[in-house]
Amino acid sequence: MDWVFLSELAINGALTGLLYSLFAIGLVLIYKASSVPNLSQGGLTMVGAYVVLALSHDAGLPLWLAIPLAAVIMFGLGFGIERVALRRLAGRPVVMILMLTLGLDIFLRGTTLAIWGGTSRSVDLGVSYEPLFLGDIFVSRIHLVGAGVALALFVAFMLFFRTRTGIKLRAIADDYMASWSVGISVERGVGLSWALASVVAVAAGVIWGEIQGVDQALSLLLLKGLTVAVLGGLDSILGAVIAGIILGVVENVGADLLDPLVGGGSRELIVAAVLILTVMIRPHGLFGRHDIERV
Amino acid sequence: MKELTKALAVFSMVGGAMFGTQALAEPFKIGVCYDLSKAYTFATPQVAQAAQDLAKLVNMKGGIGGEPVEVIVRDHGNEPQRGIECYSKLSREGVFVFDTLSTPVSLAVLPRAREDGRILMQSLVGRGDAVDGTVFDWVYPIGPTYWGQAANDVAYIKQLHDGDLSDVKVGFVYFDYPFGQEPIEILETLSEKEGFELELYPVPLPGSDQAGVWSKVRRDKPDHVIVWMLGGAHVVASKEMQRNRIPMEKYISVNWLNEVDIANIGTDAAKGIKRGTNVVGGQDVALFKEIMTELYDNGQGSGPIEKTQDVFYNTGLAMYSIMFEAARNAVELEGLPITPTSYKAGLESLKGYDANGLMAPITVTAEDHGGGGQTRIEMWDGEAWVPQTEWISEYGDVVWDVVKESSAKYEQ
Repeated sequence: MDWVFLSELAINGALTGLLYSLFAIGLVLIYKASSVPNLSQGGLTMVGAYVVLALSHDAGLPLWLAIPLAAVIMFGLGFGIERVALRRLAGRPVVMILMLTLGLDIFLRGTTLAIWGGTSRSVDLGVSYEPLFLGDIFVSRIHLVGAGVALALFVAFMLFFRTRTGIKLRAIADDYMASWSVGISVERGVGLSWALASVVAVAAGVIWGEIQGVDQALSLLLLKGLTVAVLGGLDSILGAVIAGIILGVVENVGADLLDPLVGGGSRELIVAAVLILTVMIRPHGLFGRHDIERV
Repeated sequence: MKELTKALAVFSMVGGAMFGTQALAEPFKIGVCYDLSKAYTFATPQVAQAAQDLAKLVNMKGGIGGEPVEVIVRDHGNEPQRGIECYSKLSREGVFVFDTLSTPVSLAVLPRAREDGRILMQSLVGRGDAVDGTVFDWVYPIGPTYWGQAANDVAYIKQLHDGDLSDVKVGFVYFDYPFGQEPIEILETLSEKEGFELELYPVPLPGSDQAGVWSKVRRDKPDHVIVWMLGGAHVVASKEMQRNRIPMEKYISVNWLNEVDIANIGTDAAKGIKRGTNVVGGQDVALFKEIMTELYDNGQGSGPIEKTQDVFYNTGLAMYSIMFEAARNAVELEGLPITPTSYKAGLESLKGYDANGLMAPITVTAEDHGGGGQTRIEMWDGEAWVPQTEWISEYGDVVWDVVKESSAKYEQ
């Protein structure tokens, strides 16, 4: 057993996992406010990356300006989605809202294809490709940067949920009927959660766009992000971070051990197994709230 | 006044005859059922644009046998059912030559085309064993199969090691689905035959996470890495190689790596990357220059000019040069109108045809529908692709063994 290599796989797996967390935080934000897993988070991530590219490559703005500007635009888009589409479905069965987010994802993919085409484009964040070795262990710099962004966002949201607005969002997440009754604008709260998730999508889109290029395939991150969110507990940001690390390590190390035995393809199997087992054994995830309803 | 009337009458007669003939002439149609919206969009817009441009050029020169040609482009979104719908609809409109440029759609359409006696062109996609014309009588995968390409890559590596591969380690990084898995059998056979060590590195779709794979490659230290992936996955791979300090010269890609990928990797960072190709890249090609002069300089191009600066545009020009040449052969052999049978005869009479200088000469026969399967290895030098080999087609016996074995299974 090559322990150094296994350590390398584990460390890089953890970093990759934190990039999944970066994506999953957006899912959790919306779930906390509306109890709906947003199936269009992949589409939003892709759009976030495209907007950054439109501002930097097409409009010629520097990246340091394009990224915050894209965040503002996406913040508005998130609010707009809630206002135009989601609000009309208030009181409807959750499955209808779920289908709406699925439709939105398809719509976003089609729109980006129509506007920017299917050719992959690159985001250059200026992170060096020079290898970084910690002793004998290789670490990817861009994954390190992405993991840093994920942790920074985690801390930022932890602090945000202690602010007045954040407490209102938590109240909505706890009981939106009670929030309504005490005068909290639930619609605005849900809109804000969509807007914040859209801003997170910019961060995830830029980092993943640097790693894999920007095209419609970015929206496929949904599978990993959703697995992380479910494993962590759909309403827990801390859960999303820890679950990301767990999934990243398990899939990276597990695939290395299993691939030679099964002839490849085990990485996807591991992700699927984690998702299925979580739902079967611990449906509220590692850190999610376990509500008991009186019937 | 009398003279003017006479002149008008003559003009109207001649004009009527001309335009009348034009209106009556039935165009030779090719059904281009492409995935323009899903998985193949990294290549299909360029290929379709090339097909339309070449059709315009052919028509400007009087068509084929006096008949205009028409390229009908439809999107099937890489969905077999929509591909079949496209095939059926265009068949009803009199189309009998189809090009799908999608493996799943090609596989779905193939049995119907065979049954209906219609021509299915499937260069670079679909069943590799369809080069066996004795089984796949109506299918023409002109160009190299993936088996042939992989074999040629090994032949190139052998050249680099002075004909001795006994101490050589070759890595194979591939998409872990049928497209990527296809060359494994031939590589394993050649590994046994030539004595090189073969390491396999599967990459799950869509190829966005390759960190673990390239860490392993760095540790295993293969001398060369043959890569069977598409589009953006090359960009991810090359970045991981840089991060792992693996020399880019080790990278030998399948033909699906283009100038967009190079731009995304970075023209300098991509220095040393190699690819196997079946067409001449770049713009220093007579046909390309003619299209620029006749169409794009006059604002008549079929799409944005940027799409023409891409090896997949040249691939389209090569594919459709072959298809139009086959139509010319059909007219020469059996006259107008072109029928499925005469077109088939036209294809099978292509001898040493180089697709307007875009390919190694191909010869299609009733037995070999691939035309020879020659490729060459090119290397990106920071500005352009530089050929590293002549056009080669090696290990023909090994490749045809696999072809025959596979086509025999199909026939059963």
